[in-house]
Amino acid sequence: MLNFNQKTIKKHIMKHIQILTLVLLGAFVSSCEEDYLEPKLTSAINGSNYYSTPEQVESAVINMYDGLQGVNSSSGNDNHATQVEFYLTEMRSDNTRTKSSEGEAAQFESYNVEATNGIVEDYYRSFYNVIFRANTVLANLSNAGGSANQFEGEAKFVRAYANFNLVRLYGAIPLVTEPISPLNSEIAYTRVPVADVYALIVSDLETAVSQLNNDYRTRASRSAAEALLAKVQLTLGNYTAARTLLESVVTTGGFSLESDFSDVFYNEANSETIFAIGYAPGGLDSQNFSAEWLNAVGRTSGVNYVTADVRSAFEDFGGNRTAVSFRQDASQPEQYQVAKYFPNGELDAPYLADPTKAGNDWIVIRLADVLLLHVESIMAGANETIDPAALASFQAVRNRAGLMDSVTIVTKDVLLNERRVELAFENHRLFDLMRLGVAQDVLSNFSSTNGLGFSSTDVLLPIPQREIGLSLGTLSQNPGY
Amino acid sequence: MKIKSHLTLMFVLLGVAFGFAQTQLGGTVTDANGEPIPGATIIVQGTNNGTTSDFDGNYTISVEQNQNLVISYLGYISAIIQFTGQDNLSVSLSEDLTELDEIVVTGYGTQKKSHLTGAISKITNEKLDQIAVSRVDEALVGQVSGVNISATEGEAGSAPTIRIRGTGSITGKSDPAIVVDGLLVDNDYLGSLDMNDVASFEILKDAASGAIYGSRGANGVILITTKEGEEGKTKFSYNTYLGFKEARQSDAYSFSLADEAAEELAANGSLSNQTQRKLDIGVDRSWQDVIFDGGEIRSHSFAVRGGNKKTKYSTALNFIHDQGVLLTDDYKKYNIKLKIDTKLNDEFSVGINLSPSYANRRRFDGSAHDILRQTVWLPLYLDDNSIQHVNRVRDGGKYANAQIGDYAIQRMFDDWDMANNVAVTSGQDISNTSNTNPAAKVLERDRNDYKFKIYGSMYMKYKIAKGINLKSTIAGDFQNTKQDRWQGVQSNRNGASAANYSTNIQNRMHFVTDNFLNFDKEINGHEISAILGFSAEKWDTEYESLAAAGYQSDLLQTISAGDPTTIQGQSYDYAQRLISYVSRVNYAYKDKYLASFSFRRDGYSAFGPNTKYGDFPAASVGWNVAKEDFLAGNNVISNLKLRFSYGVSGNPFFDTGNVLVDNFPFLSLLGSQTAIVDGGSAAAFNPINIANTDLQWESSVEINPGIDFGFFSNRITGSIEYYERTSEKLLIDNPVSSTTGFSSALVNLGKVKNSGLEFEIRTKNVTSENFSWNSTLLLSANDNELVSFGASDGQIQNIDAKRAAEWVNSVGNPISSFYGWVVDRDIPLEFIKNPYHPIGAEAQDVYVKDLNGDGLIDDDDKTILGDPYADLVWSFSNDFRLGRFDLSLMIQSSEGAMVRNMGDQYIFNHFNSSQDYNKATTPDQQFIKQKIFTNDIVQDASYIALRNINIGYKVSDEFLKDMNITSARVYASGQNLFYKTAANYTGFNPESINDTSPTTYGYQRAGSPIFSTISLGLNVEF
Repeated sequence: MLNFNQKTIKKHIMKHIQILTLVLLGAFVSSCEEDYLEPKLTSAINGSNYYSTPEQVESAVINMYDGLQGVNSSSGNDNHATQVEFYLTEMRSDNTRTKSSEGEAAQFESYNVEATNGIVEDYYRSFYNVIFRANTVLANLSNAGGSANQFEGEAKFVRAYANFNLVRLYGAIPLVTEPISPLNSEIAYTRVPVADVYALIVSDLETAVSQLNNDYRTRASRSAAEALLAKVQLTLGNYTAARTLLESVVTTGGFSLESDFSDVFYNEANSETIFAIGYAPGGLDSQNFSAEWLNAVGRTSGVNYVTADVRSAFEDFGGNRTAVSFRQDASQPEQYQVAKYFPNGELDAPYLADPTKAGNDWIVIRLADVLLLHVESIMAGANETIDPAALASFQAVRNRAGLMDSVTIVTKDVLLNERRVELAFENHRLFDLMRLGVAQDVLSNFSSTNGLGFSSTDVLLPIPQREIGLSLGTLSQNPGY
Repeated sequence: MKIKSHLTLMFVLLGVAFGFAQTQLGGTVTDANGEPIPGATIIVQGTNNGTTSDFDGNYTISVEQNQNLVISYLGYISAIIQFTGQDNLSVSLSEDLTELDEIVVTGYGTQKKSHLTGAISKITNEKLDQIAVSRVDEALVGQVSGVNISATEGEAGSAPTIRIRGTGSITGKSDPAIVVDGLLVDNDYLGSLDMNDVASFEILKDAASGAIYGSRGANGVILITTKEGEEGKTKFSYNTYLGFKEARQSDAYSFSLADEAAEELAANGSLSNQTQRKLDIGVDRSWQDVIFDGGEIRSHSFAVRGGNKKTKYSTALNFIHDQGVLLTDDYKKYNIKLKIDTKLNDEFSVGINLSPSYANRRRFDGSAHDILRQTVWLPLYLDDNSIQHVNRVRDGGKYANAQIGDYAIQRMFDDWDMANNVAVTSGQDISNTSNTNPAAKVLERDRNDYKFKIYGSMYMKYKIAKGINLKSTIAGDFQNTKQDRWQGVQSNRNGASAANYSTNIQNRMHFVTDNFLNFDKEINGHEISAILGFSAEKWDTEYESLAAAGYQSDLLQTISAGDPTTIQGQSYDYAQRLISYVSRVNYAYKDKYLASFSFRRDGYSAFGPNTKYGDFPAASVGWNVAKEDFLAGNNVISNLKLRFSYGVSGNPFFDTGNVLVDNFPFLSLLGSQTAIVDGGSAAAFNPINIANTDLQWESSVEINPGIDFGFFSNRITGSIEYYERTSEKLLIDNPVSSTTGFSSALVNLGKVKNSGLEFEIRTKNVTSENFSWNSTLLLSANDNELVSFGASDGQIQNIDAKRAAEWVNSVGNPISSFYGWVVDRDIPLEFIKNPYHPIGAEAQDVYVKDLNGDGLIDDDDKTILGDPYADLVWSFSNDFRLGRFDLSLMIQSSEGAMVRNMGDQYIFNHFNSSQDYNKATTPDQQFIKQKIFTNDIVQDASYIALRNINIGYKVSDEFLKDMNITSARVYASGQNLFYKTAANYTGFNPESINDTSPTTYGYQRAGSPIFSTISLGLNVEF
């Protein structure tokens, strides 16, 4: 029975209001269903509609140089790229070693590198990441507008640089020319013959040479591409082609040798640098190799320490470069450290707030290197040369070093020694020995003199065990590992 | 569209059936002693007409002629009386001794234990709050079969790992879902809850019970019910305990200079200079003694609970302080709880639950493995004796100003002239590292976590009609977590240049709303209950961090006191959303034939546009055989239930290490980077993941047949069950070739099967007025098998490029197995370069077996070395009561698990070149490999422990009467008083496992120790 007094009416209304409120609450919440399950992305960029303007493509170009820098961290899983290059090059040559033979780094100096070595994997992974960044640029050139040619040149330069380093260190490597899916095991685990890798490198650099200008030192430039291509051609034995390129760099590049050798390393705006990888102190763009080369300043107790062998080479051929290249370790006077990359920027000043976050740029190609390559290209595989053009280039480098004696003949050994003292600790030595065909002899002599374990298969590094494991057996390993 | 159909349904159900006018009948319900029974149910049989008896046992009800009244109450035998015109129908109920029908909380509701068809275990908090641990989950060890809780970190306040029925999920997140008072909460809620507030735990182990939580149910669900007030006089209770904790040291890691010197003397006839120098310094002590400094744990909890017929309330204040067993670690937690449930009128009830909590945790900011490998002759601080041995002239006079009380550094004692016993610039060295003092690394650092959380929920329950009600809940929690870390100028060998400070803050808002319609009906013995509803949930998180370096001293530890050029910051935010539709029907016929069906559909924001939803059905049936007539008078079998369940549940959570990728994995994301172009900074954007637009829910299908039994009037009760859970489309961050530019990609890949047996038996051995003795035995055996893994079958991977020990994931074996070479024998000491230096060191290499006999050691000689999963976990508990004394103890054990103890590498100084084998003299060098790649470090992680023991005394009532105290109990309790590990295990905590991916599981790097605790406590009620 329904009574119509106020109390009952109120009660009925209350009843219904409460139900309605609850129901409406639910309806409200789920009526937003359409985009309820699609919250906004605010802290990263959605890549599916990115790379649509020239500025955006340029950010991908800059990203390649960030990849070359590597991450300054202590985590074994980060890509350290150039910051760990010295382990694989200088420390495997007769130039440097660890201070106290500890840890994984000792494997390099004693020629006992294992496939499980973390630094070997780090470098491999880092440079394939650089190649990926370059391929990303190349895949998006259509939206680069007027800068497309330049960006293509830059990306191909970086890709060629990465492939050149990888093929010299690891031998036949997988060749990646576009971003690949993780399911593409064919490209990921097929080791392409060395000749084919070089074919891509040459073709990439030729594009770079024709499309780049000379606006930058820490981004790819025409002269940098010419110099790198010349080096590649010398490695392949194409001496005339190399000579033309090198002469173009010298005459049209606008570079000149710095009169003070230390300015090359401590004045970042110097006139000699052709291509460098830029760093800045203190933050995310810093590098830590400068600290690692000192005594217990970085995470190691000291690596890339100078061997007695290279010191005696400096005594004979160094000139005024000796003082800038290495110095005695004040804490352990019988040891010697590299002096070209002190973190503070000066030879003797006290360290930065945090020397493990140094800002020294890493020089990849400079004019002195080009001049000596010029000599090499004229020598054209012979044992000596008296060609005046070669002698002039050689003399220029010598003069700067304070060794003014007139040069009348350059032999292969003399050239090697000059390269050694001019470019010491700049990650050239191992590649120079390989390119001039003397790696086996020089390194086995060095190894037997110092009680190390060099064998003929030790010039190439192993393919990282991680890749071999993931390939489920399809990827083959280098001999001797 | 879905909403419309639900609305319609609800409105339809709103049709209320009103009864017709009838005779009003009154009466009283009493028990066998004449005491009134409040809350007894009186129902007119075959209708919806019912009521409950009031505080005095009285009731009134409308009834028609010849209708039957059913009067029932939990624990009593129901009475059925026909109304034939009496004007008063009072009844006396007699106790039902054979069947105390517990109510068990299930997903979104409750059920009688006898009606359960799934695998649900219940534990009530009788003495769980007397176990002296700072976290609720730590107290559950060994309490439930199939639930494996391991103390993966022994630091104060750190969370243990909970796995229900094995590791089914291959993602990092195999944690069970946590539900508190009916609402799903985040897993770290367990860190803010205090055990004194918990009334009971129900663990939903099988998929059928968990399926109702669909999206989160795949790894099991832990339902927590907090205490609420009871009708009657207000009760005040105060619980407190004080405990003393001590770490369990490892004998294998305790080295002795004296012992090694004796060995060297015996082997060589004299002591080397190095050993002599170490003896001269005069210190011989294990670093375990320094960093395992023990601590106290204390807890206070004060609660007020009470209520009347309409309202019940429960408020509590809790405080716990755990000093932790490690040097510097400390944990404090403050907790307030307020819970009010009130019945506004017959239709409406409302409840509020509010709990703010605050926890402050100082971390142990060092690594045990790094500290323990330091040598035993190194003092902590320089004292009168050791200061004389400091070399003030070496290294350019670096230690010229060393004073008593300074930290001792190994290099301080190098370059000694042994003949003249003086310091020189170049002489005998004894150090094996240039590192600073190991304890300085911990003492000069300050790392803290602060967590403030406030959780609030409110529900409204509206009775639409008899047997139909609507419950709507809104809950939210706000969490603010701040972390800061200071590393001082003496904490690193690089001195002030390595000092740094970092801080970060994370704020998270979480809202959830649950709206459910409940339906209960009983017709002629058919009991049907159903729920229907939906739930929506959202999380919004924001994060900021700052870091600075370049400090000259420890004076000011703030960001602005650092060098401005070193300041780095970061910020990001992200959101997650979940929406679910839930339905379930439970059916029981005469308490004998049982069935249950549920269906849930969930949508989660982190999946791509086509894969956001997952469907999770479940069905289970049961037969209460003991209720059948043929077993009616049986004296032996008092309970026998056969049940079978089938369910599908899912898991949407994974952890790639990058939260943005975790929440938007279907997009290719770009993050910001910079490069330096000719001296200036230039902006770049870098791809951070490989997008997967097809990423979808993981799903688990489980079948679970089981038998519940009870013998001799339930003196012996228990259950046996078998389960088989197949999880597929597993969310895994799978490693990929570096040629892609990435190291891993998130995919749904693989199928894993966990199958096992659980056995529970509880016996009431003796029950008499003065003495009782109960026992419980729980056994669970789980077998984990990788059923398929796509193209990645057989993949071999490592965790760390520097310590590249391998795991293999191959079909037919557990998800991850240890992989490597098998040890043959040790390298004899005569071939080791310097076998007695440093103290406690071992050679890095070992002879391994040539398994295929080809004369070489290569990848073909590698094999599976074991797996990290336990084969059998059991616990055995006994409870005794003698007069006023009670004693309970639990022994728990795990067998069959193995662990890759990487700690050995560090603590036995494997990297030290003095321990390398001499390449010139050692024979058979082609059979030598590093121990890290062999089963030398793959050790047995089995253990057996006396987990809990508790002795209490209940103070007599006469003693308490004058103090107005209702009851008091004093007790002493001990945890881990006895803990035995396997013979070949060298570490100090076999349960400590680093949180790496499940495909490389079982990695341990020393970690923090197992500890034993003894505490004294008091429970008072007044």
